[in-house]
Amino acid sequence: MKILMFTWEFPPLISGGLGMACYGMVKALLALGIKIDLVLPTKEAVYFPLRQESDVDTLPAVFMDASVHRKYLNMSFSSLHERLEYIGISGRPESYIQLDEIRDYLKEVKKETWQSVTTVKEEQELFADMTTHLIGDEDLIKKVQEYTLRAERFARELDYNLIHAHDWLTYPSGMLAKKISGKPLVVHIHATEFDRAGGPGDERVHKIEHSGMMYADKVIAVSKYTAQMIMSRYRIDTAKIKIVHNAFTLSEDIVLTKKRIFKGPTVLFLGRLTLQKGPDYYLEVAEKVIQAHPEARFIMAGTGDMSRKLLRRSASLKLKNKFLFTGFLNRNQVEDVLRASDIYMLPSVSEPFGISPLEAMAFGLTSIISKQSGVSEVVNHAFKIDFWDVDLMAETINHLIEQPEECRRIGIEGMQEVNAIRWHEAAEKIRLVYSATLSEFIKRNP
Amino acid sequence: MLNIVFYFQVHQPYRLRHINVLDIGKKANLFDDALNGQVMRKVAQKCYLPTNNLLLSLIKKHAGRFKIAYSITGTAIEQFKLYSPETLDSFKALADTGCVEFLGETYYHSLAFLYDTNEFLDQVAMHRELMKNEFGYYTETFRNTELIYQDKLSDLIFEIEGFKTIITEGVERILQWRTPLYAYKNYSKDINMLLKYYQLSDDIAFRFSDRDWPEYPLTVGKFVNWIDHLTLAEKKNRNQFLNLFMDYETFGEHQWAESGIFDFMQHFPDEVLKREHLGFATPKETFALSNYQQEALSFPEPVSWADEQRDLSAWLGNDMQYNAIETLYGLLEKVKNQGDPQLLEIARKLSTSDHFYYMCTKYFQDGDVHKYFSPYDSPDQAYIYYINALADLEERLS
Repeated sequence: MKILMFTWEFPPLISGGLGMACYGMVKALLALGIKIDLVLPTKEAVYFPLRQESDVDTLPAVFMDASVHRKYLNMSFSSLHERLEYIGISGRPESYIQLDEIRDYLKEVKKETWQSVTTVKEEQELFADMTTHLIGDEDLIKKVQEYTLRAERFARELDYNLIHAHDWLTYPSGMLAKKISGKPLVVHIHATEFDRAGGPGDERVHKIEHSGMMYADKVIAVSKYTAQMIMSRYRIDTAKIKIVHNAFTLSEDIVLTKKRIFKGPTVLFLGRLTLQKGPDYYLEVAEKVIQAHPEARFIMAGTGDMSRKLLRRSASLKLKNKFLFTGFLNRNQVEDVLRASDIYMLPSVSEPFGISPLEAMAFGLTSIISKQSGVSEVVNHAFKIDFWDVDLMAETINHLIEQPEECRRIGIEGMQEVNAIRWHEAAEKIRLVYSATLSEFIKRNP
Repeated sequence: MLNIVFYFQVHQPYRLRHINVLDIGKKANLFDDALNGQVMRKVAQKCYLPTNNLLLSLIKKHAGRFKIAYSITGTAIEQFKLYSPETLDSFKALADTGCVEFLGETYYHSLAFLYDTNEFLDQVAMHRELMKNEFGYYTETFRNTELIYQDKLSDLIFEIEGFKTIITEGVERILQWRTPLYAYKNYSKDINMLLKYYQLSDDIAFRFSDRDWPEYPLTVGKFVNWIDHLTLAEKKNRNQFLNLFMDYETFGEHQWAESGIFDFMQHFPDEVLKREHLGFATPKETFALSNYQQEALSFPEPVSWADEQRDLSAWLGNDMQYNAIETLYGLLEKVKNQGDPQLLEIARKLSTSDHFYYMCTKYFQDGDVHKYFSPYDSPDQAYIYYINALADLEERLS
């Protein structure tokens, strides 16, 4: 089985949990013998033919242009990083496609492809919905336009059985590929605009999400929580939706032993400082806990559009030097901050899944996670509390600080539980989705 | 007679490293030695050495008629020793002329007066000791950090430390119809008081090279002419004092050499001393020269020389600044109880007012001045590094 996969993030191209999830999933799918041609928002027009597990780290690349590819094959790179740099994939996803390269989207769109005589009305409407909403002056929208234009060539020239697209940024590409190739499409919902915005969000993104899910043959949701959201907010046919929880695998060279920073009990928030993740609830909880336990330290790790507001608010609450901001942390620093902490808190307002708590639990941190999260469906050895219930969260932390033995015990139980959650099982479920989709597809198109 | 009283502030803080949460507990150096050394050497080259040289030659040339005063912080003296010993030597050469007065202040250029009276008095005593050791000078005039002053400060420095003169900003809301050209007394009439004449001080310190200023370029002739006019209002032969107070870094650093600031200074005493009714005095001399009953002035609220408001808002104007300074003084108490002199030294270096100035968020014209002086990208960054430093210091306590 061979999959054409579109995603916006894949290590080292990472800005959030999507990249981590795709990495674990693709690696496990390769182990099952599934071949994947991966398309990323790279600077150069390349795809990554992944055939064996180790390919997820080495990322072998093929340039679409044969002469360019020959040149690439003759080049020698001193390191993997240098090679990836050449392809244009080493920082944040949004930084690769240069704006000046972007052609006028509307002019370039091959309308005849999408509105040919064979196209049914319903399909035309979905495409119209997608194309009319993929318009805007924002950098991100322009980059998605560029990515979508390039998808056409991948769709025509590559050979595959099924298309798999992750999150709205790649749905237009997935739709286009399905239209061009006639192959079935699976879309994967890691987060919807409702989750990200912590409110209604961007209308255009909703429309693109809706078109993508409607046009897809199957929709994979990362949790029941997300499946519920897709049904109630997007009105997607329940028969099309499959739930596959994310998993988590620690890299082998990781060091899990504690390395404290503070003598006092240390509580950690690790995630983007945006409304969705509920950092403001964390701050409120910290204020309450510090009153009872001035020896406690609260770390807020990450950056986001709420950084300044949270910083100023922490100062006005007079949390002294007990509430600390790390700013952006790289991978090693994330591990260091996990090793330095005792209690992890994820007060997300809406979290489709949430891999970060699994990682924290793997490090033996006792975790408090929002009931409004997908991850709460897969773990038992964690406290599950409504994100808005700051009193209960503060009481729980106070209790854990007062009963350090109990805190440690729950942390160890959580660690054991998380170690049993493997990408292998998730990949098995995805393979079932693939085969079911293919057999239905073959039945419909004999 | 109108006496020009020059006082120059010489100060360099210990700037912090970009301390991350993950650096805490590693007992690493909190201060950016490389940056501090670099700044000190640069300012020494551009300002301290050439200006000291110029003023020394002017003092010698005018044989006792040209006089100046300095207030040099402990953190500046320490960093001269570390990074520019020749600068300290040149200040000593100035001290030897007998035409230079050294003022007393807090060793760490701190805001301790506002938060911790004992710490304030300790730092004042440390500074007086330093001036005696370095320059053989016993300080008699007091200048609080950034000219911050209010009534109760005069009680402390008169009753406990025995200072005879104090200087502060000529704030209009206190002076009202009065002129800063006379010497005044503090509210209890115990101590002689001089007020900065900020219009003419700032003409040199801030506007000298401003091409948008209608008076640009400022020539010695024009400036001395303005000073001359100030004497016309005085009909009873009372001695007047024109207090020109400014940062020493004005010369060559804030106003570059190319602006002509050194030429201006070189010819200024000549032009002044051509006139019999103009001269120079040091702050402590003004008490004996006051040939009239000095009026007492009350400062119920604190004033300073900073920004348009001339209040404390440059250091204590937002929540970050309040949280930072309250945390510092709470921690200082714990550090003192523990009695580790190294930790106390770190805590005191963190008491320097510049750290709070960097956190200022008044982003209009004054904000630009703050930005110019800050080694950090934003007030938020300055606050984060500072709070991390305090968290680190606290972890070092046992």
